[in-house]
Amino acid sequence: MDLADLTRDLEALRDETLSAAAAAPDAAAVEALGLDVLGKKGRLTTILRGIGALPPEDRPRVGAVANAIREDIESALADRGTALHGAELETRLAAEAVDVTTPGRPIRRGTLHPINETIAEIADIFGQFGFVVYEGPEIEDDVRNFQMLNIPPDHPARDLWDTLYVDVEGHLLRTHTSPGQIRVMHQEQPPIRALLPGRCFRYEAIDASHASEFFQVEGLMVDEGTTMGDLKGLLDQFARAMYGADKRTRFRPGYYPFTEPSVAFDVECIVCGGSGCPACSRSGWMTILGAGMVHPVVLQYGGLDPERYQGFAFGMGVERIANLRHSVGDLRLYMDNDLRFLGQFR
Amino acid sequence: MRVPLSWLRDYVDIDLTPEQLAERLTLLGMEVKDLERWGADWQNVVIGELLTVERHPRADRLSLTTVTLGQGEPLEIVCGATNIAPGQRVPVALPGAVLPGDRRIERTEKMGIVSNGMLCSGDELRLTADGDGILILAGDAPLGVPLVDLYGDIVLDVDVKPNRGDVLSLIGLAREVSAVTGAPVRFPDTDPVEGSTPIAEVLSVQVEDPERCPRFVGRRVHGVAVGPSPELVQMRLIAAGQRPVSNVVDVSNYVMLELGKPIHTFDAAAIRDGRLLVRLARDGERLETLDHVVRDLNPDTLLIADADGPLAIAGVMGGASSEISTTTTDVIIESAIFDPVSIRRTAFHFALRSEASLRFEKGQEHRLARLGADRTARLIGEWAGGDVAAGVVDTDPREPEPAQVAFRPARINRLLGTRLDPGQQVELLARVGITTMSAQPGTAVTVAAGTKPLVVDAPDGEVLLATVPTWRRDLAVEADVAEEVARVHGYERVPAILPHTPMPGHRHDPLRLRDAVRAMLAGAGLTEAVTLALVSPAMVERFPAPDVTVAGEGEPVGTPIVITNPLSSQHSVMRQSVIGSLLEVVATNERHGAESIAVFEIGKGYGRLDGERTTEWWRLGLALTGWAAVPTWDQPGRAFDLDDAKGVLELVASRLGLPAVRYVPVADDLNLHPGRAARATAGAGLAAHVGELHPRTRDALGLRAERIIVAEVAIAGLVGGAPAVPRGETPSRYPDVVRDIAVVVPQVRPAADVVAAVERHGGSLLRDVALFDVYRGRPLADGEKSLAYRVTFQAPDRTLTEAEVDAAMEAITAGVAADVGGRIRT
Repeated sequence: MDLADLTRDLEALRDETLSAAAAAPDAAAVEALGLDVLGKKGRLTTILRGIGALPPEDRPRVGAVANAIREDIESALADRGTALHGAELETRLAAEAVDVTTPGRPIRRGTLHPINETIAEIADIFGQFGFVVYEGPEIEDDVRNFQMLNIPPDHPARDLWDTLYVDVEGHLLRTHTSPGQIRVMHQEQPPIRALLPGRCFRYEAIDASHASEFFQVEGLMVDEGTTMGDLKGLLDQFARAMYGADKRTRFRPGYYPFTEPSVAFDVECIVCGGSGCPACSRSGWMTILGAGMVHPVVLQYGGLDPERYQGFAFGMGVERIANLRHSVGDLRLYMDNDLRFLGQFR
Repeated sequence: MRVPLSWLRDYVDIDLTPEQLAERLTLLGMEVKDLERWGADWQNVVIGELLTVERHPRADRLSLTTVTLGQGEPLEIVCGATNIAPGQRVPVALPGAVLPGDRRIERTEKMGIVSNGMLCSGDELRLTADGDGILILAGDAPLGVPLVDLYGDIVLDVDVKPNRGDVLSLIGLAREVSAVTGAPVRFPDTDPVEGSTPIAEVLSVQVEDPERCPRFVGRRVHGVAVGPSPELVQMRLIAAGQRPVSNVVDVSNYVMLELGKPIHTFDAAAIRDGRLLVRLARDGERLETLDHVVRDLNPDTLLIADADGPLAIAGVMGGASSEISTTTTDVIIESAIFDPVSIRRTAFHFALRSEASLRFEKGQEHRLARLGADRTARLIGEWAGGDVAAGVVDTDPREPEPAQVAFRPARINRLLGTRLDPGQQVELLARVGITTMSAQPGTAVTVAAGTKPLVVDAPDGEVLLATVPTWRRDLAVEADVAEEVARVHGYERVPAILPHTPMPGHRHDPLRLRDAVRAMLAGAGLTEAVTLALVSPAMVERFPAPDVTVAGEGEPVGTPIVITNPLSSQHSVMRQSVIGSLLEVVATNERHGAESIAVFEIGKGYGRLDGERTTEWWRLGLALTGWAAVPTWDQPGRAFDLDDAKGVLELVASRLGLPAVRYVPVADDLNLHPGRAARATAGAGLAAHVGELHPRTRDALGLRAERIIVAEVAIAGLVGGAPAVPRGETPSRYPDVVRDIAVVVPQVRPAADVVAAVERHGGSLLRDVALFDVYRGRPLADGEKSLAYRVTFQAPDRTLTEAEVDAAMEAITAGVAADVGGRIRT
């Protein structure tokens, strides 16, 4: 046995292994081959055991030869293994293909009610101008709902509010959010910028445009220098934010016993754009809220000096605001809670 | 108020188009809600002249006429009326015409003769009340011209506000038109042509209660001929929404619309000795009113009476016995002022609110009592003939001085945000009849009237004094003058600015916690409902408030609040629980075929406490039924069950930073399945009843779903709180250690007991304990179950040793065995 013999044996092992690798059917066969040839008790090791029979001067050279052969084999096995792995992956992925055009798994989705979302929108818009939210009770007393708002008993203006009364002396279901004005004035000192959303009630037969329960948002701003011009500017901002900057608005006289002067605020008809249609009684305008400068008597009932303080109040029907915003034609839809209707307010 | 434009033109010239007029009035505060084209429903009705009128050859009661339209061949038309004669001009509905009520006219054969259209009565055209005779037009009515060109009109529908009773009249609206255009107002002539009989001989009036009847002006007309009113009058009344009755009755309606003064006329023959008495009714008195209802009067009812008894409910409705009829010859006219509150109460009491009572309620100009009596007498004389007695009976002829209101032009500018100098303000006020002068030095200004009048002094020279026209009853304080200045100037000319006054300090938004919960629930797949607070008595009885409370929130206490004037019994009580409302939502959606319903509402319950106190409380309610996960092409469906609702509660608690939700069984909530209901609590922040709806309740409500899960939840902060602010703790850098433990317990033993024991004995290293398996069956005995928990340990500052964890597990094992009595399964 000399170096040449050993080298020949190694080369034979290499050649044999390379052709076996090339013939290996799968990655597992390549792995088994690697173990058989290169393992601790593999054939390469077996051959190298013959090193002891070599002449001493040849022994140092065997390492280089053996390493070269080992590298050749390792590299060949690795290449073959990678190739086979890739092919197997391809095959598996091909087998795993799904029809990606089927719909996804539905995730339950709930929606928030348009009444509450409209209130949130209103609060957000006025919040930008420093208005903060207050709330009052829905069962009010006659004093705050009417008398402190400058509507004495037996006043003809009571015709504006058909009232539901309860079996508690002196109490009724609030017909508007306006009693909140009194409550806020009793609670706060000017400057006041308050927003009062909530449920209201009227003795009103229910149809497409009337409801016995509905929601309003009241606004109140009081300090020493708040003018009707401020009211007008603010309402313009509100209408733009709610209905779009291109909408024209109209500020005209209205009537409420608790404001003087009183205001009705119109927005260009959302349906016809101002040219006149049945929805706006051919006027081109839709009234979206009532407002005015807080009546001196109401300021007095609120505990404020009407000579020093002045301000404005406004009140809007949430359903009306929502109707115009979402093109809803029938008030009853809001309280029906038909999921097919509610599901649209995504 | 309906205002025919042609009638309004009697009192003021109008150069504007109807649309312009409507807009200008609206901007002045007289909102024109609609412009009705009166006569727009006469299509193809033209003016013709009768050439011949002969008896129909085959029908005695029909006439055969020929009619010319001025050109073309004369038309043969068959007509049933008897008031026609050759030479008359009449309305002709041609074939193809459409009349009010969508009545279509075609060429028809009548008893063998073709009729080429129809001659129209006033009633058929909705022009007059006469349905028997053909409407005979003026002799110079232009032939062939559409009738609408001659009799068409525009009717303004004006929304008169409650403070402007003076504008519930044509003359009042004319004044507003005048404010817009500057054209002068023409007040109608009121003086009647009087005869020789002195009034004192034929009429006396005694007012027993001058508070309630401050003034009564009476007149009397003899020898009238009751019959139809002139056609123009009938047309005006119909267009204004009044039904013509007879000339005498129509006069009172005409004067009411014209001047705003309700007038009552009596058949003088029904009044004893021509002596009227204005007094309160006595108990037990009765009166048959014009609508032929016999009414029990009460001592709060003001009456017009005579010696024999009640004749009319003052200001509200006349009596049948003294009603004007076709046989009436003598008429007594009542033009009175009544106390507005008294009239309003009486009208409400008898549910008889009329055009007249409406005007009395708003207060009447004192002067109108005399003007109305005079105008009525004059028009009766003109339309019904007769002899007007000389003079009037007037119980209080003094006419009050016009009111004066002091105002500061500078203060008005401060209120409006305008810069109108005093001269401009004076000019604007003059356009609505308010005259102005400089105030005497020292004149005080009334800022607020009413129960606590506020009168302030102002520097000399800054105050003006406005003299209010007698017809205006709505101007008392400076702010009222400001509104007049603003509306005549034009609200559209008030400059719009943004507030630049001091901002209030920050205030917490009371909607925040509710909004956080709402957003969370919608994200979790529940849809928000908003339901009615007014429910039926049966609903309130079936769904009392569940006994769930948290500190700081309203307590569900008190008896249900009952509506004393409900619209219907279905909405006559205020709810105490939101569950009933949500089950109605379930019912609604079941009817629509919904297969998966998950709804919630944050709503109120209401209660009546002792005495005069009420209380309201917020609750979250939810209802789940049908598919929790809808079956899809590759997945089976899963129906909602109790654990879904519990999951929702746990989600809410987690969102609000509350402790873990604990459950204890509840068997005494009559609406819940006794074996599938729990009281849930999360620390002190949340308390709920959650459970499956009892099948009996489900059946009683007619619900179809097999299982419906409901919950009513009290949450601290619904009334106006904010979610707690979370702490951002650093996660431990050291690994956790997970061990499993299974405990075999009797099936009736609640799992919550085991968890409580684990937590109690887990020591400071215990981080979490989670149920991951429940097993029943072999090798366990019947009536046993195995609960398997995954227990997690962790220390914030070190890696745990096996020995530490073993010690903790031993403590748990021993503790569970001691507390729960189960055996540990390994």
